[in-house]
Amino acid sequence: MVLQRKRLADGLTVTQKVFVRSRNGGATKIVREHYLRRDIPCLSKACKKCINIVVPDAKNELPTFVLSENPAKLANGSRHYVVLDANIVLQAIDLLENPACFSDVIIPQIALDEIRNKSYPIYTRLRTLCRDSDDTKRVIVFHNEFSEETFVERLQGESINDRNDRAIRRTCSWYAQHLKEYAINVLLVTNDRGNLEHAIKEGLNAKSLADYVELLSNSDDIKDALPNLETFRSKDKDLEARSEFKFPDYYSTARIMGGIKSGVLYQGSVQISEYNFLEGSVSLPNFSKPVLILGQKNLNRAFNGDQVVVELLPQVEWKAPSTVVLDSEHFDVNDNPDGDEGQTVEEETISDKQRRLLVQDAIRTQKSGKVQPTARVVSITRRSWRQYVGQIAPTSIDLQNGGTQNAFVVLMDKSLPKIRIRTRRAKELLGKRIVVTVDSWPDTYKYPLGHFVRELGDVESVEAETEALLLEHDVEYRPFSKKVLECLPADGDEWKAPEDLSDPEAISKDPLLPKRRDLRDKLICSIDPPGCVDIDDALHAKQLPNGNWEIGVHIADVTHFVKANTPLDAEGASRSTSVYLVDKRIDMLPMLLGTNLCSLKPYVDRFAFSILWELDGDANIVNVDFTKSVIKSREAFSYERAQLRIDDPNQKDELTEGMRALLQLSIKLKQKRLDAGALNLASPEVKVHMDSETSDPGEVEIKKLLATNSLVEEFMLLANQSVARKIYDAFPQTAMLRRHAAPPATNFEILNEMLQLRKGMSISLESSKALAASLDRCVDPNDPYFNTLVRIASTRCMMAAQYFYSGAYSYADYRHYGLAVGIYTHFTSPIRRYCDVVAHRQLAAAIGYEPLDLSHRDKSKMEFMCRNMNKKHRNAQFAGRASIEYYVGQVMRNNESEEIGYVIRVFHNGIVVLVPKFGVEGLIRLENLTDDEQSAEFRAEEFKLSFKQGASKEMKDIYIFDKVNVQVKSILDPVTSKRKAQLLLK
Amino acid sequence: MSRLEIYSPEGLRVDGRRWNELRRLDCSINTHANASDGSSYLEQGNNKIITLVNGPQEPKLRSQTNVNKATLSVAVNITRFSKVERSKSSHRNERRVLEMQTALVRTFEKNLLLHLYPRTQIDIQIHVLQQDGGLMGSLINGITLALIDAGIAMYDYISGVSIGLYDTTPLLDLNTVEESAMSSVTLGVMGKTEKLSLLLVEDKIPLDRMESVLAIGIAGAHRIRELMDKELRKHGERRFANISS
Repeated sequence: MVLQRKRLADGLTVTQKVFVRSRNGGATKIVREHYLRRDIPCLSKACKKCINIVVPDAKNELPTFVLSENPAKLANGSRHYVVLDANIVLQAIDLLENPACFSDVIIPQIALDEIRNKSYPIYTRLRTLCRDSDDTKRVIVFHNEFSEETFVERLQGESINDRNDRAIRRTCSWYAQHLKEYAINVLLVTNDRGNLEHAIKEGLNAKSLADYVELLSNSDDIKDALPNLETFRSKDKDLEARSEFKFPDYYSTARIMGGIKSGVLYQGSVQISEYNFLEGSVSLPNFSKPVLILGQKNLNRAFNGDQVVVELLPQVEWKAPSTVVLDSEHFDVNDNPDGDEGQTVEEETISDKQRRLLVQDAIRTQKSGKVQPTARVVSITRRSWRQYVGQIAPTSIDLQNGGTQNAFVVLMDKSLPKIRIRTRRAKELLGKRIVVTVDSWPDTYKYPLGHFVRELGDVESVEAETEALLLEHDVEYRPFSKKVLECLPADGDEWKAPEDLSDPEAISKDPLLPKRRDLRDKLICSIDPPGCVDIDDALHAKQLPNGNWEIGVHIADVTHFVKANTPLDAEGASRSTSVYLVDKRIDMLPMLLGTNLCSLKPYVDRFAFSILWELDGDANIVNVDFTKSVIKSREAFSYERAQLRIDDPNQKDELTEGMRALLQLSIKLKQKRLDAGALNLASPEVKVHMDSETSDPGEVEIKKLLATNSLVEEFMLLANQSVARKIYDAFPQTAMLRRHAAPPATNFEILNEMLQLRKGMSISLESSKALAASLDRCVDPNDPYFNTLVRIASTRCMMAAQYFYSGAYSYADYRHYGLAVGIYTHFTSPIRRYCDVVAHRQLAAAIGYEPLDLSHRDKSKMEFMCRNMNKKHRNAQFAGRASIEYYVGQVMRNNESEEIGYVIRVFHNGIVVLVPKFGVEGLIRLENLTDDEQSAEFRAEEFKLSFKQGASKEMKDIYIFDKVNVQVKSILDPVTSKRKAQLLLK
Repeated sequence: MSRLEIYSPEGLRVDGRRWNELRRLDCSINTHANASDGSSYLEQGNNKIITLVNGPQEPKLRSQTNVNKATLSVAVNITRFSKVERSKSSHRNERRVLEMQTALVRTFEKNLLLHLYPRTQIDIQIHVLQQDGGLMGSLINGITLALIDAGIAMYDYISGVSIGLYDTTPLLDLNTVEESAMSSVTLGVMGKTEKLSLLLVEDKIPLDRMESVLAIGIAGAHRIRELMDKELRKHGERRFANISS
């Protein structure tokens, strides 16, 4: 069909874009207008023509010309720009981000669209690259579809892909023509063979990615980072040789769609068990318990977190969850990454081992009768692949071989399989932490194929380990970009709060100034952990003439500096939280704000968001008021110093009296909360002390709490509740809130069974109050730690608290179970949490300070934000814990000791012991417990493992919750080079 | 996540326009000379609209007679095939359509010199053959043209256009894809002035952005008025040529 074009004005033509969309089985013809224009610039600095055609955008800014007039030279000496095909970006985005290669890159719009549809995260990375790398990388998007010169119409009988490829080639040839006079070559890089051939036929410069890299001057360094794709290697390798092992094929799309519709197939995301990497589970809406996926073939190449489609297995294959511990690190250690010869032999030993496990499993299942439905993966809807950190398994490489060879990379995440990469630097990379990406997992390969991205440093060096754990937890730790830093106040350090709030000059700079209240006369102080530099909150108390108390909580006014819709705000939103590691803090906001301008430092004027209550003697709220303010903190206390000051009877000044009042009121508030059923849970958290000079970890200490900790905490809780209520009133659909759901009874089933059996106790789940009371009753008179142990165990059965917007749930579900309050939000730490920033803006709008930005009033945007916050919050917690774990390992390295531990899980082939002193838990394998593995007997229903111990060959029974003496030392695992606590039973 | 870049960082919209560009606008008047007293056919982008004006004529019902001025009625017929998917209902008595009709009557009542035609009725019928976003604005333009064709006395053109707000950028004359992705307002602007005879705000728009939205909307409406004016003058010249020859 030939479409009409109509000329509208000079340089603007309109045509129609016609396509067929299929949805729910039906096909619909869609016609859209498509405008073609002549004012799309090539964005090359060399070009002298395009500068005349550009037009300004809505902000009256002209586009910046990015591509260099003197681009990099290829090996053959010609200067060149690169045009990329979509598949290159999708496969090699890491390479594209690598500063060492790919500069002056042109992404045709048609490729960008395809990237966006195939993978949104890669699209965002590409867009960030375009935005941030003006001077170094120089990446641009060329809107070939809208440019009259490069738009191509689909020909009769031409497939969409062919048309798009042709469009990209057209873009290339246009650029080549356009830049001919400036002696700049244009090179098309594509891995699509058809496209490549056509391009060469048409006389364009075209190369495959591998060939292109070959042409670069630094090609040797980059070669390892090339994506590892089956299609590329199939030509020089014999496929038949490895068809011995084959995963089941995935179902066709049509079959999947039909199956899901008819209810035969189910969709969900896979969770791989943290103790057994060959066991996954999928939570499906129609099943009360997760459905199990057991074994390599059933998992069928699914990674932890992938979206998959599963099919239930026949009832005879239903099983109970495995009681065997299995991690990928120690499984098939001797597999050969080349996998050509000896494959059959390997195959046999593995299947033997697996078969043994399966049989044992089956027997146990029959005994226990706790059968769960099992399923197998038949398709993977969405991969959760990202960059992974790991190290080369030393046994997998040949040190004599200097050339390219295959190597296995064992990942830090135990629940993931090894990744097979090809590298020439295997020898060099041995003993280093490296970053790898997964490229593909063809069905004839036992392990996924990936490629090397970069190295982080030596295993166990602080830098490499810290970076590794940040990467593993998806924490953005790069320095803030230039665009972000430009949003900071121009005065920098010199910024000062205005002396006089009615000063016309100050008002002209900040028209909202008169709306601030001057609270500089209040005796305000802050109480924080020692050495705290980002002070979010400060307090004051003052007795009113009527005997009531005026209590003020003052929170750093971050939103004064972080305005909505700025790059700074976007960066904060994407980081969502600061991450605290033992020796390092990854800030959500730039230093200048976090530790200086926003931080409520003592003795200086600072902007704050204040909540002022009138509380009566019993800490009931009489009145509450919210206002933006200016304050001057009189003193910044640490918890300990505040405690000392309050306890010192000689201190009689007003500030100390105020603090005493705060303490008294906070005790009453806490009592009220506990009466309402707030939970007092425990975690085995410890703190690592660092040697101040060498910054070597010194000793490990269990965190202790002072009364002043809870003083601050209580008022922050009160503030959060008051704010939550206020913003919910103002924005019933989009208020930023936090909830904590009641735990489902099934979570506590196993724990209750253990308690019942071993101690004759139980935990009640009727309400949070009943739960709190029953936790208080779980006391072993002989062992004071037992209660804490139960609390730790119950914490793990709880649901995670989550951020949400008020429209997402009904009011009854807003409850915060753990704190026993009806409605709750986070408001008090805007320097380190983005939720608080949103709450600040909403509260400011609710009190009429300034209008609320649209993005905080839009349900879908709030939904997006909440999801990101929840994810980042969880990751930050995990990263923090991983950091502590690493340092505890370093501490233990120096001192081997014997400690008291508690058995918290019993498996068929080992027990998990928690050592409270270090807050570590570790697995003791059966082979380390006894010499005679065959004698061991495991009784799942009693949570008991019996085995013959030592030379005496006496049977020893280990039950869950048993107190045991363990020898703790830290060892370096030879396969994973991960240092971890090794526990041995004494 | 939308599959498309609604407004790219390079400043181009889904269909290739820039932020301040109108869609293609083609119009003609006196298209249904035998069926009505005044008629117009308007294509604004992929909106395709026939407007017929009948009157001033004797009211069909006595009860509708107003001794002081003419009664204005608007009937909007959105055809079942006007959207991508054929709709099952005729949209005749839908609340949304009734509201549109009322809004249109109110928009034009003040602009027509209705007191010149007491005891009569002016009927406006609109047939929407195809719609592609910003329908209300197109209806206004169609009515203006048909009323002029019918020779009914009016003060000035009213030109309608919709404006969306994407983050902080106002986008002129939305199509369906854009309309479903962002909040929008519709303006009816009197002639070359900045007087608004219609301001339809059905979505949330931050107050501090309203000004820039209105500014670009009014500029766009003026441009539409020019295009309509040009077409009318062309039509007039043609007719004049016919008479004189």
